[in-house]
Amino acid sequence: MLAIGFMLTDEQRTVIDAVEELLRKLKPRQEAYFKSIYDDQHYPDELWEHMSALGLFGALVPEAYGGSGLGLLAMTLAMERFAAHGLGNVLAVLTTMDAMAILRGGTEAQKRRFLPAIAEGKLRMAFAITEPDAGTNSFRMRTLARKDGSVYRLSGRKAWITGADRADYVLVVARTIPYEEVIAQGLRERYGMGLFLVDTKAEGLSMQAMETVGIEGFRQFFLYLDDVEVPEDHRIGDEHDGAEVMFDALNPERILFAAKGVGMTEYALARAAEYAKARRVFGDTPIAAYQGVQHPLARLKVLQEAARMLTYQAAEAFDRGRARSEVGLFANMAKYLASETAFEAIDRAIQTHGGNGFSKEYHLIRMMAPARLMKTAPINNEMVLNYIAERALGLPRSY
Amino acid sequence: MKIVVLLKQTFDTEEKVVVEGGKVKEDGAQFIINPYDEYAVEEAIRIKESGDAEVVLISYGPARAEEALRKALAMGADRAILIEDETPSADEAYVAELIARAVEKEAPDILLAGYFSVDNGAGQVALRVAERLGMNHVGAVLKLTLDGDRVRAERDAEGDIEVVETTLPVLLTAQQGLNDPRYPSLPGIMKAKKKPLDRLTPGELGVERKETTQVIEQYLPPKKEAGKIIGGTAEEAARELVRLLREEAKVV
Repeated sequence: MLAIGFMLTDEQRTVIDAVEELLRKLKPRQEAYFKSIYDDQHYPDELWEHMSALGLFGALVPEAYGGSGLGLLAMTLAMERFAAHGLGNVLAVLTTMDAMAILRGGTEAQKRRFLPAIAEGKLRMAFAITEPDAGTNSFRMRTLARKDGSVYRLSGRKAWITGADRADYVLVVARTIPYEEVIAQGLRERYGMGLFLVDTKAEGLSMQAMETVGIEGFRQFFLYLDDVEVPEDHRIGDEHDGAEVMFDALNPERILFAAKGVGMTEYALARAAEYAKARRVFGDTPIAAYQGVQHPLARLKVLQEAARMLTYQAAEAFDRGRARSEVGLFANMAKYLASETAFEAIDRAIQTHGGNGFSKEYHLIRMMAPARLMKTAPINNEMVLNYIAERALGLPRSY
Repeated sequence: MKIVVLLKQTFDTEEKVVVEGGKVKEDGAQFIINPYDEYAVEEAIRIKESGDAEVVLISYGPARAEEALRKALAMGADRAILIEDETPSADEAYVAELIARAVEKEAPDILLAGYFSVDNGAGQVALRVAERLGMNHVGAVLKLTLDGDRVRAERDAEGDIEVVETTLPVLLTAQQGLNDPRYPSLPGIMKAKKKPLDRLTPGELGVERKETTQVIEQYLPPKKEAGKIIGGTAEEAARELVRLLREEAKVV
């Protein structure tokens, strides 16, 4: 059952069918994929290639640049389906977000240079904003981009950078004017920030894996930028007003994370229902017949559908070019409900499985960390609620 | 060059088959392109891609078979013909006669089909079509090479490979292993929606429904009994096994 009440276009339904068809075909490989993703922390390249061949990245790119121009909602539907099969792909989310930054904030030359390759799935992209001492308050970041003739020189340290080792480029957010100077000059704190597409093989860029758990098949990295030279034509958006482009790209990230949460919830509920129907504990009655088992799952189903509606609405608003704040409100609401629901759904599916919930064979326990992560990243749910309180209810800012 | 591919929409082989009142229940079932026909479609598209060919699909079945045809169009076929019948016959002679009439009009150089369909599994229709149209035929093809109107096919001969050379026009039936069928891409699917799909009725082909065979009943195979494990030393076990084979199974 897929969002019966939501008016999806024929093309969008086609995306769902095409992804389902692909995943049906890949079903014999599922255990191997799970092993690679959840045991070896390595998202299979093969799956990325299938996504590319299917034309999913092309969906993001307008026809003029070699894509099919289906938009973010198409990718949202696709990401949900992958996650519904336990195959959520965060690097695809980040690549989408960077693609949107180029599409919305890039020059014509940049679009012609990068978008066709993105459409073909040939470019994998990470995103680097977080620093050890600048997380939620990213305006206070210390990474500096210094103009030096026709190039920029980037120096600083980033942390929790997902999939940096598997990416061709990383979109780095850096200060073009130090935070203190901006404040001293009485400018807005978001002023003096730029976006730079940095080749992951660039001289002066090094990375070190962090010992974190929670991203399906990808590791997170410290990124060290030591006077990394970035050509001027790799700056996306205005030199000091990169935040404008960045905020445009953060919405798709939240929307696709929400889609991943909706998909994960579907996976958890399907597994729980399947198990409960087969499992008999007292006599011949399957545990699925007990209301104590049914009701929590039914309740999560309601929340999942609600999260799905919010997610599609946010993606649709983005595709229609609605105001960033409007998209942002729905993106944040979707991300909130989808992440809370996904975590609860995995938890409840484990509970339904009893001891088997902790057996690797049933995969659920391995999805616990990825489900939990979504409440914290890409932004924690408390900040999401702050945003909603401020923007939807007009309540004063508390921080 | 013109290639016609015979395609049947069948049950999803991953689906659980439910039999009710002597018939396979279709409600809520998933339907797919018969997997062997999918190899045939893929091969036709590869021939097209390596040279110049038109790929025409022909299917006989209910209206829902359009989904299977659209999928093959999305893979890269050019157009499709659906011989529509809401209560399709399972009589191979009749079905072959219908399809032969449609194929005849297209006059293909190559007729491709699956080795057999995974539902009825008779493997007769394509061969009967070739017979009616006087075409050469190579079955269970694993590898195909074309050179002008010369055809070289490697076929599965019960585990061995038989190499057959023949000439166009020819019917080739695809065996598993011939290729690895592609799945439709999003742009392919969108294009497929605009590709021509003609619907014909058996009447329009001038064929009267005449069945020489009928399906009387359908039932699931009996459940497998649990196996018997013979214990003891190797010598005791061997003796017991021979006794069982002789006295119970009566095979030696």
